[in-house]
Amino acid sequence: MDPEVGRQSSNSGVSTPALREPERAKLRPRSLRRLRPFAPFVALVVLSLLVGALNPRFFEFNNVVRIANSAAIPLVLALGETFVIILGSVDLSVEGVLAVGAVVISLLVRNDSNANALGWTGAALAIAICAGIGCLSGLIHVQLRIPSFMATLGIWFVGVGMATLALGGSTVRVLDTNIRSLALTRLLEFPLAVWVALSALGLAWVFERFTRIGRYVYAIGGGEDLAVLSGIPVKRVKVVIFTLAGALYGLAGLLSAAQLGMGNALIGSGRLFFTITAVVVGGSALTGGEGGVLNTFIGVLIIAVLANGMVLLGISPYVQQAVQGLLIIVAVALSIDRARLKIVK
Amino acid sequence: MNDFTYPIPRRTFIRRAAVLAGSGALASMLPYRVYAADKVTLVNSIRSLSNPYHATWNQGGQAFANAIGADYVTLVTEGDSEKGIADIRAVLAKTGGNLVLNVDPNDSPDARPIVEACVKAGAYVVTQWNKPADLHPWDFNPYYVAHISFDGVRYGEETANALIKAIGGSGGIVALGGILSNTPAIERKAGLQKALDANPNVKLLDLQVANWKSSEAFNIVGSWLTRFGDQMKGIWAANDDMGTGALEALRAENLAGKIPITGIDGIKLAVEAVRAGEFAATVSWDPYWQGSMGLAIPYAAKTGKFESVKEPKSHREFYGTGSLVTKENADEFYKTHIESAPKIDFDDLWGRVTGQIRE
Repeated sequence: MDPEVGRQSSNSGVSTPALREPERAKLRPRSLRRLRPFAPFVALVVLSLLVGALNPRFFEFNNVVRIANSAAIPLVLALGETFVIILGSVDLSVEGVLAVGAVVISLLVRNDSNANALGWTGAALAIAICAGIGCLSGLIHVQLRIPSFMATLGIWFVGVGMATLALGGSTVRVLDTNIRSLALTRLLEFPLAVWVALSALGLAWVFERFTRIGRYVYAIGGGEDLAVLSGIPVKRVKVVIFTLAGALYGLAGLLSAAQLGMGNALIGSGRLFFTITAVVVGGSALTGGEGGVLNTFIGVLIIAVLANGMVLLGISPYVQQAVQGLLIIVAVALSIDRARLKIVK
Repeated sequence: MNDFTYPIPRRTFIRRAAVLAGSGALASMLPYRVYAADKVTLVNSIRSLSNPYHATWNQGGQAFANAIGADYVTLVTEGDSEKGIADIRAVLAKTGGNLVLNVDPNDSPDARPIVEACVKAGAYVVTQWNKPADLHPWDFNPYYVAHISFDGVRYGEETANALIKAIGGSGGIVALGGILSNTPAIERKAGLQKALDANPNVKLLDLQVANWKSSEAFNIVGSWLTRFGDQMKGIWAANDDMGTGALEALRAENLAGKIPITGIDGIKLAVEAVRAGEFAATVSWDPYWQGSMGLAIPYAAKTGKFESVKEPKSHREFYGTGSLVTKENADEFYKTHIESAPKIDFDDLWGRVTGQIRE
């Protein structure tokens, strides 16, 4: 064994050109490497403390409730996206499916445009339709062998188109008090929508940790050819995951219709960027096989705290977009394990 | 899996080519709708049909086309300037220039290639909202008939004044702006500033950009409630979508109706909110008028009812009339504009001209 190695392990700052990459990685202090998976959480805490130090109102309970409220819909969207990203694919149809969900719900429950009043049945039907659209994305991707990027891009526009067709471009007002109660009624001071999002998070976590399909998702993301050779029903898992994602987007559509009291084709506009950002900032790699719903939860909170913080601190709107971009880069840079990544695309 | 290619036998190749040519010939012989060279086609080019504003614009255009019995085409840019220009060129080619175009260009620079294409084909065109400052209808007689816009500064100021009146003349207000680089966003914000300058007892606590979207406005208002609490007496929004998002954020905190909001666009939800006392005011551009008169004016020029050359500059580049909707006139406005299609006199070409566009 190289006599230099013994000396190096106590001083990681000195470079050792004689050693190969993997061995160098082992020499970094164990404590820093152990912290890496917690980098997003640390970023969240640091960000919160920073904002709170500059404007103590950040810590007020009402503000915490408002942050939770603004994070509910992005969380549900990001949960669906997480599973697809862990698979190694990407789902761009978020805005389209959300629009379909919101529009269908607003047309089925009591509204100002027709005489329907299906209540929760209408909501369940809308979520089922969105799950169906997700299934379609999955089937197009798997059976026609179209890359998920393309397939879901197409479904995005189909979704917005369907929503436009259904409403003729106009907006429908949701009058059903039960649906609206999701946003307006509070349980323990938090709106019901927040509890719905947290329940979705809990169920997703159980799905990820304790079901076979949950394990399969990671296997496929980590190495699809190996997964196929191991006998995992890759195609079926993919379709199931896309269907699940569709159902979650539909749920987000329900929450959007409840929150804004209306449905229209553009209700999801702009959501895709934040959904994927939240997943990546939380620590799930875009290449697949890594991350999880708890990572995404932290990612969503980072984005929500950032948005709330920028308004609390009165940061000029001209600068806000730049600040958001910068923090995303910092958060991702801190959380990826550069030693393990040999190829970066 | 076979990777090699094999040569196609000559006879098979000839047979297949013949089938292809034959089916092509057959298809070209099938009757399809040709845009008649003698019947005028009316064309409306707008951003998309997915929003109520342009959807109503389209209805107005359809109504005018029905009234005069002409063919009607709607072109949608979906925010893509290239597509917008290409679609217009295509329809000019199809109709041989025998058309009348009413266009809301996706972006200001688009107006120039569109106008030049129409002039070249001999089609009469009206542009609305967006055009470069150095492009004038009187430089392209007689085909570029008019440019219509609405004075963002004036209406930003009118809604701000309505809000200031609703809060009692003094206090702190917040403002939701549109996409920073959009002309309407800049103009309406300037109007707000004018109103603030004239009312020194009213303070602008903060201006945030919600990009014309209700979901972004919702989140921003939540954060504002933390930052300003009771200091926030009123919310000025540069459009109705952001205003309704703000309203729902207030409703979630049981503050709907307690903090007045103003918007601009005059969509159904906003007018209902004005009636309910939750909005202080909104402004309607009457997109139905824009979609129908935007076609009626160039059609009148084409049929010789007037000559563009002879019209004054205030009829070539003008501001239309917006209607300020407040509690006083909301009920009536709702009946005449929302519940039923507005009655437009298609012969009244210049009735809504409020002045020439500022240089």
